[in-house]
Amino acid sequence: MACARVPLDEQQVTEPGPLGKERTLPALHPERAEDRCFVPYKPPPEEGSPAEVEQFLERAKFITEDLEWLLALPHDKFWCQVVFDESLQRCLDSYLHHAPRGLDLAALPSSPAVADTQRSIHRVVFLTFLRMATHKESKENFITPTVFGEIIYENFLFDIPKILDLCVLFGKGNSQLLHKMIENIFTQQPSYYSDLDETVPTVLQVFDTILEKCGLHCEGATAMEPMKLNAHKQPTAMTMSQQELTDIVSYLCDSTTTIHAFLDIFPAACSSFYSHGFISRLTSFYETAVPDLEKAVRKRNFDDKGLQEDLWKRLSHSSRKMVETTHLLLHHTCLQPILEGRENMQTFAEELLQHFTSFLPEKRFLSDYDEQFPISDDVSLLQQAVPVIDETRTSYLLQGVESAWDSVGRRKPQ
Amino acid sequence: MSPPRLTGALRSFSNVSKKEDFTEHLDDLKAKRRKRHEWFARDGLTWQKIVHFCTEEQDKAKLQAASQELKSLLLAAKQIVGTEHGQEAIESAAVFLFETFHNKDHVGTEETRAIKQMFGPFPSSAAEASCACVARLVAPLGGSQIEDFIQTQSSRHNQRGLGFGRNIAFSYDCYTLDPLEDLTCSSIYDESASLDF
Repeated sequence: MACARVPLDEQQVTEPGPLGKERTLPALHPERAEDRCFVPYKPPPEEGSPAEVEQFLERAKFITEDLEWLLALPHDKFWCQVVFDESLQRCLDSYLHHAPRGLDLAALPSSPAVADTQRSIHRVVFLTFLRMATHKESKENFITPTVFGEIIYENFLFDIPKILDLCVLFGKGNSQLLHKMIENIFTQQPSYYSDLDETVPTVLQVFDTILEKCGLHCEGATAMEPMKLNAHKQPTAMTMSQQELTDIVSYLCDSTTTIHAFLDIFPAACSSFYSHGFISRLTSFYETAVPDLEKAVRKRNFDDKGLQEDLWKRLSHSSRKMVETTHLLLHHTCLQPILEGRENMQTFAEELLQHFTSFLPEKRFLSDYDEQFPISDDVSLLQQAVPVIDETRTSYLLQGVESAWDSVGRRKPQ
Repeated sequence: MSPPRLTGALRSFSNVSKKEDFTEHLDDLKAKRRKRHEWFARDGLTWQKIVHFCTEEQDKAKLQAASQELKSLLLAAKQIVGTEHGQEAIESAAVFLFETFHNKDHVGTEETRAIKQMFGPFPSSAAEASCACVARLVAPLGGSQIEDFIQTQSSRHNQRGLGFGRNIAFSYDCYTLDPLEDLTCSSIYDESASLDF
């Protein structure tokens, strides 16, 4: 056992070596990790044969047993295993990759044994990540915060895709714990903010890819590039195969849910997304892609009406998440500083009004946004907090909102 | 195969995560079974300890009966692990069977699965026989006495429920579809309404 009240990264332990002779080692040392041989996770088989189900249960039992064993280890042994056992990291990674999300198309496991096993593994994976995100377990068991930051970053124990996976897999019911975990990770290792900054353009690229697959293009993305002469030959949402359309809608559903879950749980990330012009790219994407995909889902001939209904729900869910994400970004970057009475309130108010004004040409987006988050409420709030706001400008904005409702042929709920 | 995911794209196209090789290891379960076997053989509970526990402070008649049951348990274990294994492997299997059946009155699905995972396919009669042997062995002893013995001797049992996070209220809730409207109510966005030249 390691010494008390000294951070783990400074502790030394004396224990018998492989030949039985006593030796002194740093408490965090590869030779102190056990050769446990964690197996990677595979998702439950869809309508699998009994043999496939048995294999899933066996694999899942191994993982659950091994992670329970890991969680029962003392602090020093736990960290040796986490840092030096690559099979453990592969196992955790494979769970984040392959664990079924609540939104996946595949039905939930029908067998109670499979469902119970999946639940057990789900819990124990979360607790493992929770322990990995905790640098101080007790007065005796802790790691120097800066060293903890280095350990988790250098060994890729957490990275941005993993954090996003954690949010979408566990965030619905464990948002407070996840918030604490992610906050601690970013506080102890600010390099994650740089990584996040590096990731946002790739997130934007995902939306561009969806547009491209639908034979569309978005303002702000490839607007500067000339259209290829053969662009008209590209398949569209109406002409692509049904499988492709299903994949695109599922991809959009997963992407919008994941981004929203992450920003909702960790609002400090909003500024990174905001600074990359995420709002205008997202609203422009919405205006271009949503009506096109809706039309395809509604008008195409589906043999399986259940699939058509499901795709519609996914699309509608994605639209809601995009609107909610825009609201989250505006709330945390513009509105919150005004409500908190921070300095430069007028600058934040100006930015908020500019965003609302930029929504005016995006009529479909604007009416959907206004339905969920009435712009008149925010304008009224602005007028109270910053009385110098130009009334002509706000009236113009509110008239534009009304006109957007008319343009899309909808009546605003009273 | 997993459906397309945002995080999959981020792993592939950004430089913020480790590039993992997820090529399948077809025999990973086999290797794991072997590893578990080794690990179980090193566990704190040994056949000698079980023999001592079942035979100490017994009168002559009970001692004789217990010795007979222990022999039968070893025999059943031999049938389960296979005759090609040595005494050490057979005793280790008998320990596993004792741990598995010490609080069971029949061979259920869980027990069948546990034995299969540890030793591969096995004759069900041997499992039935070992379950009956263990039941007769522990019958004269108190339930709590047996539990205490297992808890103190077996590191496998010691870890259960004592790990990090045991008091954390974990929620199994997950995100589900939250659409704005059903397809049947979607006529408001019909093509004719959105023509805005």
